[in-house]
Amino acid sequence: MSSKIHSPFPWTLLRFWTLRILPIWCLIAFVIFLFQIAVCGIVHDNESVKTLLQFLDMLPSFIKTALGGEGLKIGNVSGLIAIGYNHPLVLTLYMLFAVGVPTGLLAGEVQKGTMELILSRQATKTHIYICAGLITVTGMFALVIVMFLGTVAGTNLYDFGKAVPLYAFFKIAINGGVLASAVGGISLLAAACFRRNIAVGLTVAYLVVNYFVAIIAEWWPQMKWLRPTTIFYYVHGPEIFNESAWPIGDLCVLISLLVVSTLLGGVIWSRRDLPL
Amino acid sequence: MKALEVTSLTKWYGSARGIEDLSFDIAKGEIFGYLGPNGSGKTTTIRCLMGLLRPTSGQCRVLGERVVPGRATQHTRIGYLPGEFSIWPRLTARRSLRILARLGHGNKVDKRQEELSERLDLALGRRAGALSKGNRQKVGVVYAFQHQPDVLILDEPTIGLDPLVRQVVLELIRESAEAGATVLLSSHDLSEVAAVCGRAAILREGRLVELTSISKIVRQGQRRLKVWFATGTQAPHLPVEQLPGVRLIQQDSGSLHLAYQGSIEQVLKWLAQYPVDRISTPETSLEEAFIQYYNKNPPPSAITHRDTGPKEAADEQ
Repeated sequence: MSSKIHSPFPWTLLRFWTLRILPIWCLIAFVIFLFQIAVCGIVHDNESVKTLLQFLDMLPSFIKTALGGEGLKIGNVSGLIAIGYNHPLVLTLYMLFAVGVPTGLLAGEVQKGTMELILSRQATKTHIYICAGLITVTGMFALVIVMFLGTVAGTNLYDFGKAVPLYAFFKIAINGGVLASAVGGISLLAAACFRRNIAVGLTVAYLVVNYFVAIIAEWWPQMKWLRPTTIFYYVHGPEIFNESAWPIGDLCVLISLLVVSTLLGGVIWSRRDLPL
Repeated sequence: MKALEVTSLTKWYGSARGIEDLSFDIAKGEIFGYLGPNGSGKTTTIRCLMGLLRPTSGQCRVLGERVVPGRATQHTRIGYLPGEFSIWPRLTARRSLRILARLGHGNKVDKRQEELSERLDLALGRRAGALSKGNRQKVGVVYAFQHQPDVLILDEPTIGLDPLVRQVVLELIRESAEAGATVLLSSHDLSEVAAVCGRAAILREGRLVELTSISKIVRQGQRRLKVWFATGTQAPHLPVEQLPGVRLIQQDSGSLHLAYQGSIEQVLKWLAQYPVDRISTPETSLEEAFIQYYNKNPPPSAITHRDTGPKEAADEQ
């Protein structure tokens, strides 16, 4: 046997981790898919929309802002279907995946003591990080595609009386997928730096703060200047509906965030002594 | 070429010392004992050898290749058993072992896995979470040996195992060495180190305090002497001030139990004055010798060179 052996990519680990994550991914995807169909089921009927809007009017105005703001009105089919994309339940499910997967795979294996075994085989630290990154980013993106497919299924199941701009929803889904992947990148960075609980706490705190800042900035005119500081600003639903072009600028910001956070996490992960 | 080489290895955890200026090497086919109390730096050294920790200074080489932290240097040829062996609790032991084997070109381990589990009396089909601590450790032993590695790095391999299984593990170590494998055996059980190792290093507070043959470690310790006097003779008072290096362990009406260091000549001269019935010299256990290394004052100075090579150690054995 040669003295120097090149470390091949650990496909076994990628497969093992993917199979471990698959049940929770399927569950989240299924709920998101059904939720989009349910939203289509509610908003295709004007009477139901009226009841929904009356209900939203009774709640504090920032909640309506969080769900779509001025776009929520009878006749604005796209704005109403988009409730399914902004709803806190959907965002929470994304957050669950974005935070749970990288922290569970990297920090979780370290905490369980199994990372020492993985690292004692022919798997480099960089390869291990890439495995966790691939699963996180691909999983997040796939969830967004499932969300779009839910909208496609919903619009086919219910009659809206006019054509639903599915291509615009596809663009939002891609934009959302990149946003979700950027969140996954931030979570990877946290998982590479800290123990599991701290990594989870920091990522959740980052997302919650971003979410509320985004709502406050949208709802309170004096705080509008805060909008670009949050990651949620870089998915402009209404503008995507109105414009035919892709939101290249927003995509670039989110991809930069994804690349920088993931690379930084990778460098820290490979250089840091793991608390084995 | 040495199988394992450690040169001026130092690791600090912030301001806390892990190990300092360690240097030793292990020849191919040698079984090398690595001894030291808790916190002395044994696991730190092993993790540096495995590339799991980044040394502050110094370097390690495994099978001639310099260990680069995080790069899995020569890992396909190493069998590693960590000090605290943990495995995925929801998977069966067999599945976990297969996954780990496939992570390092080890696709053809099934036969060896079954053979090892049979010798260790281990049921591989059970979920790891349902296994007792001892059985989990057996899984660890199978993990380390299953791909018939050229180098075995074992951090307290027999911890939690019953005496019979311990013997099986020691046999496996001997068999591997006979087949040409090099073994680094870190252990608290000094009798097992004495049973299989030719040479050992002793660590204290992160520094190497001894690196020599097992027989020399035993020889350097205090030796025992038990003397029975003739019937009706009262055991005499031991003149400790006239016999430097001799101390009394126990005195009965007709016998003395002594410990001494250095030559026995003075003691025998003193005993010649009395009617001695018989003398026995119980063998100093490695445990006693080992404990003495930790009782030595003042704190040790580091050994930075090879004191005794493996060949000399083998000759002494």
